Amino acid sequence: MKRERNLLDTARVMFLLNLCILLFYTVVCLTTTQRVCASFGAYDFLLSIGQLPPRPWQMPLGALGFYTLLCVVSFGKYYLKTEAFWLRLLVCLGEIVLCLGVTVSLRFYYSGIALLVLADLVHYVRNSFYRTGFMAVLVFIFAFVRFDILTPGGIPFSAYLGYYSHTVQGYLSSLESVMVCLNILLFVLYMILLFTSERRENVRIQKLNRQLNEANTQLKEYAVELEHMTAMRERNRLAREIHDTLGHTLTGIIMGADAGLALFDAAPEEARKRVEVIAQSARDGLNDVRRSIKALRVDALEKHSLEEALEGLLENFRLTTGLEVEYAQQAGELRFAADEEDTLYRIVQEGLTNAVRHGHAKRASLALVRQGETLTVTLQDDGEGCAAPEAGFGLRHMQERLGMLGGSLTYGSSRQDSGYGGFMITASMPIREKERKS
Amino acid sequence: MSSRKKWTFGLLLILIAAAGGWLFWGQKQGTALTIGVYAGSYWETPDGNCYQILDETIEQFEQTHPGVQVEYASGIGTDSYSEWLAEQILQGTEPDLYFVLPEDFNLLVSSGALENLDGLMAEDRDFDPAVYYGPCLEAGQFGGSQYALPHESVPTMMFVNKTLLEGCGIPVPENDWTWEDFFSICQQVTDTGARRFGVYGYTWLNALYANGASLFSEDGTACFLADPRIEAAIQFTRSLNELNSGYTVTARDFDLGHVAFRPFLFSEYRAYQPYPWRIKKYTGFEWDCVCMPAGPDGANVSELHTMLLGINARTPHKLLAWEFAKLLSTDEQVQKKLYAHSVGISPLPDVAEDNALLEQLYQDIPGSVRFSREMVGGIMQNAVAAPHFSRYEQAMAMAQQAVAEGKIDKSSLAAAQREINIYLSK
Repeated sequence: MKRERNLLDTARVMFLLNLCILLFYTVVCLTTTQRVCASFGAYDFLLSIGQLPPRPWQMPLGALGFYTLLCVVSFGKYYLKTEAFWLRLLVCLGEIVLCLGVTVSLRFYYSGIALLVLADLVHYVRNSFYRTGFMAVLVFIFAFVRFDILTPGGIPFSAYLGYYSHTVQGYLSSLESVMVCLNILLFVLYMILLFTSERRENVRIQKLNRQLNEANTQLKEYAVELEHMTAMRERNRLAREIHDTLGHTLTGIIMGADAGLALFDAAPEEARKRVEVIAQSARDGLNDVRRSIKALRVDALEKHSLEEALEGLLENFRLTTGLEVEYAQQAGELRFAADEEDTLYRIVQEGLTNAVRHGHAKRASLALVRQGETLTVTLQDDGEGCAAPEAGFGLRHMQERLGMLGGSLTYGSSRQDSGYGGFMITASMPIREKERKS
Repeated sequence: MSSRKKWTFGLLLILIAAAGGWLFWGQKQGTALTIGVYAGSYWETPDGNCYQILDETIEQFEQTHPGVQVEYASGIGTDSYSEWLAEQILQGTEPDLYFVLPEDFNLLVSSGALENLDGLMAEDRDFDPAVYYGPCLEAGQFGGSQYALPHESVPTMMFVNKTLLEGCGIPVPENDWTWEDFFSICQQVTDTGARRFGVYGYTWLNALYANGASLFSEDGTACFLADPRIEAAIQFTRSLNELNSGYTVTARDFDLGHVAFRPFLFSEYRAYQPYPWRIKKYTGFEWDCVCMPAGPDGANVSELHTMLLGINARTPHKLLAWEFAKLLSTDEQVQKKLYAHSVGISPLPDVAEDNALLEQLYQDIPGSVRFSREMVGGIMQNAVAAPHFSRYEQAMAMAQQAVAEGKIDKSSLAAAQREINIYLSK
């Protein structure tokens, strides 16, 4: 904050100094003209300059008028606080035009206004491309928009100074060069202040960035650890489940079967009862296994039917990512075996996620078609698509899941006539009739 | 709309209204055309009421241009007029239209203070440059363009001390006399012991015009100092001076009646010849005026001085200024009044050669009227206007210095000419 105030103070001193310089030139030109006329030297003066001098009021009116506008724009833009690109660009261009206006009004005697505007714009413009552009333009103005380059035949400022005695001439030209040099020094000071403050800011940002990266790495490590822990816990739970249900049941079955074998000859009736018990406990065991597997199922499918779960999924995508999905269900009743439903749900979920994440799609279509015992899922989007997609983890996972159920997956660009120019996946899998009936 | 935007919008509206009001007010007030004019006569002759013709012309102009008000500042003498004009130019308050003294023309044109009239002349169908004597119009040309209109012209003439010539038994020369006649009269008259001399103030520049030569090219890019005709003019003036055997003749010698000839402006003849000025000017002798003597390669040609009218290059009323300048310069009634009132010659042949006017002018002049209609026409048509270009003064000074230093043989003149040409080509 202190540094910011120092910058502002330097800028104010620069504005004040440049005002003094403008006044110096205008006052010298005006009073010299008046004095020349008052001392009957007008004809000789006209003869010495050999050309028509601009009307005397033009310089003060033009220079001070443009300078006042420049001050208004320069200080006013911080009150305006706009972030609109065009408005900011307009402010910068306006300042450059006003700077040129002041310089032209001063008949190119002084181009240091360009440094003032340069200091101001370097502080205002953050985009390095525009900043460099403005710097180039203003340095060009400072260096080349000069009296001796642009108007070599014009009336030099020295013609006005020439009216005075050598002593006064000396004082006036020293005053001129001191003020011009002071302006350059102030400009250098301003730039040093600006760049040191920017460098400090950069160092601070870099430090914060490093801290953020460290925190991010730590978070990733935690995530991996958490995954390990979850897998471990799940494995333990599975082991416990297998031990508690399948282990228990199998142990019972083995013991029952052994007893049945021993009784088989001595008491066949008893043995038959035992085998019935074994069959019952095997069924119970199977039920237990089913229940265990059910506990591992997709949450949505656990609570709802596949139909409802898919609709919920689409609605969820629409709400969270804005993806509008055209849903065409032509597969009749959606009741399949749990692993088939799981696979179907996962394929749709993964496909939609890919469309949003990689294709940045806004619209998609989902079609479920059943032909005999084959169910075909077609998902296409209007995203960026991909001419030669590499099968990532998601696609490979889908292929594996389908492979286990005897199905297949194809993918590539959408058909042009479909109205979706993005990516398309088609999954087909056979439906197990038996399971469906049960 | 935020309150800041409302304020900005309101401020803009007020500014636009103010600008509109100012413009409307300015329109309603009418146009003021300012004229820069000097008091008295430029030709060093007395002038009773110098503003009378201007006032009458202004009245006429205001009647034909309603809403236009023509103004001028009075009381600026001819000797301070150039300075006054320069002051106005420096302060940016120069008049829309102003009189241009012959010696100021070069500076005013080269500094860009005068409007180039070529465009205005070409666009104006009523304007015909052929109404002027050629040399008068040329006086307002610079680098091939017209920058001013002629208002009044005065040629250089030769004054003759009739009393002195009669004393020597020599008749007053005719208007078609030559260098030979001139030289022989001077030779006969000169008697340094009796303080009688041939001529005062006749320079090689007077001589070169009469010998058909010109020192510079029209566009000011070349100097012809080594021209044989100029060399002859220099030699001629030198031989005239040698008659005085080292004595330097002064203006006082002429005033006292000791000198037979002196180049003078025609205006003085017109101003002082009529009674009672004739007696007041030179008490001791009778005098008259003839054309300049002709050189072997030239005619009885003299240099022409022309008062000009120029339009300010920065005026917003260019057309009005042009109209007024045209009225002053080409209107026959205005020019006739001027011709009768002033001491110069009108740049318009129709006015300058008007028989009735000429008779009226010369009725006060005793003796034979030498300036007939044909004579005036001849002088004006053949007169020479010095060329105008931006380095004229400096180049002329260089040539005069070379001659003054006695570099008058062929090779020295050629060397000086080379030097001036180098300066001119820079």
